[in-house]
Amino acid sequence: MTESWFSLIQQAFGLLFSLDPNTWSIIGVSFNVSLAALLITLIPSLILGFVLAFARFPGRWTVINLVQTLQSIPTVVIGLLAYLLLTRMGPLGDLRWLFTQKGMILGQMMICAPVLIAMSQAAFTSVDRRAWETSRTLGASWLASVWVLCRELKAPLLMAIVMAFSRIVTEVGCSMMVGGNIMFVTRNIPTAIALETSKGDFAQAIALGLVLLILSLLLNFALGTLRGRSEPRSH
Amino acid sequence: MVQLKINKLCMQFGDRLLFKADALQFAKGDTIFLQGDNGTGKTTLMKVLAGLIPATSGELVWQGQTHTKWWQKSPQLGKLVYLHQHPYLYEGSVKYNLSFAGRHQKMSGKLLAQRVDAAAKMAGLEHLLDANASNLSGGERQRLAIARAWVIQPDLLMLDEPVSNMDKESRRLVLEMVHTLKRQGTGLLVSSHQTCGITALCRQTWQIENQRITSGPFNTEQGSVQEESLHVITS
Repeated sequence: MTESWFSLIQQAFGLLFSLDPNTWSIIGVSFNVSLAALLITLIPSLILGFVLAFARFPGRWTVINLVQTLQSIPTVVIGLLAYLLLTRMGPLGDLRWLFTQKGMILGQMMICAPVLIAMSQAAFTSVDRRAWETSRTLGASWLASVWVLCRELKAPLLMAIVMAFSRIVTEVGCSMMVGGNIMFVTRNIPTAIALETSKGDFAQAIALGLVLLILSLLLNFALGTLRGRSEPRSH
Repeated sequence: MVQLKINKLCMQFGDRLLFKADALQFAKGDTIFLQGDNGTGKTTLMKVLAGLIPATSGELVWQGQTHTKWWQKSPQLGKLVYLHQHPYLYEGSVKYNLSFAGRHQKMSGKLLAQRVDAAAKMAGLEHLLDANASNLSGGERQRLAIARAWVIQPDLLMLDEPVSNMDKESRRLVLEMVHTLKRQGTGLLVSSHQTCGITALCRQTWQIENQRITSGPFNTEQGSVQEESLHVITS
């Protein structure tokens, strides 16, 4: 690294503010893929979290443990699994999704779902039973009461969403394996940072790192504000 | 006549029998004092009657309708309202909580606004409409909970230890509100392990003793009636 830190950071800001097409294409791919994966997974995962928290059925304990285990599996292993599913010989090979954004979305869904399910289950388990009973006895429908619970639990549920999004927007293993790091198609922020750093092009890596850093700060400040407004409940 | 009939009701937790009752009736206009020592199942009975938890066996007939299948909505929800000993107030303002039931029962905006104002005045909370409900004192919370139920004018109302740990002024206001409900014809089932101003309004008693629920007339002279109750009743 021959250039000074100051010069690199200056170049990084230059890339961002000059709307450099390569840099912004990478940022666009990252957000497209990760937001799509999050949005597709969100509702089913919250429903599953709700069911795991309240329903009692045979195998519940196994499902909960399985979900918790999936949370901690390295993304590269999930990438390998997604690759094996999407490869020509794999069960989803006919979809031809390998090295496409759709394939990356599938992989990120597999990473994001366990986080959302486990964290929403923990949130629903912690809810005061009286919130549900009060809503029902006052005549709210079953679905409306679920919405009331989600409203009461907005801080922990938003935390789950932020954590899930953070995990997928920063993961490199799965995106690299399933996406293939193709410029303008599947190259996202983490795979680009890995590539540019290995090439010695630190300016773009820093620019992309800054985007993730700013995103992280914004999300955490937003959550902090929300938590600050939620006053402690007295019974 | 709006009424709930109870036939051969039995509640068990595992092998432990909590209570059983052959035949009971709770109708509009009734005022029933539910008596029993701690742990005899007064709260559980009220939740069963409200349709919040299922009984182990037996039949609840609400206006000729029986709730037999777990996926069916209990017909008494929203009409037979159960109030917790420690009420649950939703995150938000006093006004939000007061309008909660009306919104979920699709009450017209104008009627709801009128009822909310009247309820706030009755509960002595009109100056706190925009305050956060989580900042209310114990007595204010209980008054808000009763006012919240009053907004939808339920046919039957069940109060679980309504004046426990409450100061004299709050007890007086709660008693006035309950008395107003009684005058309007709302059936009342009041649980308490001791007599108080509200129980003095009762004309019947349900006694849980030796795991059996028996009914009979209630004479206010059976217990020591507090001065405040006599004042409200005679005023």
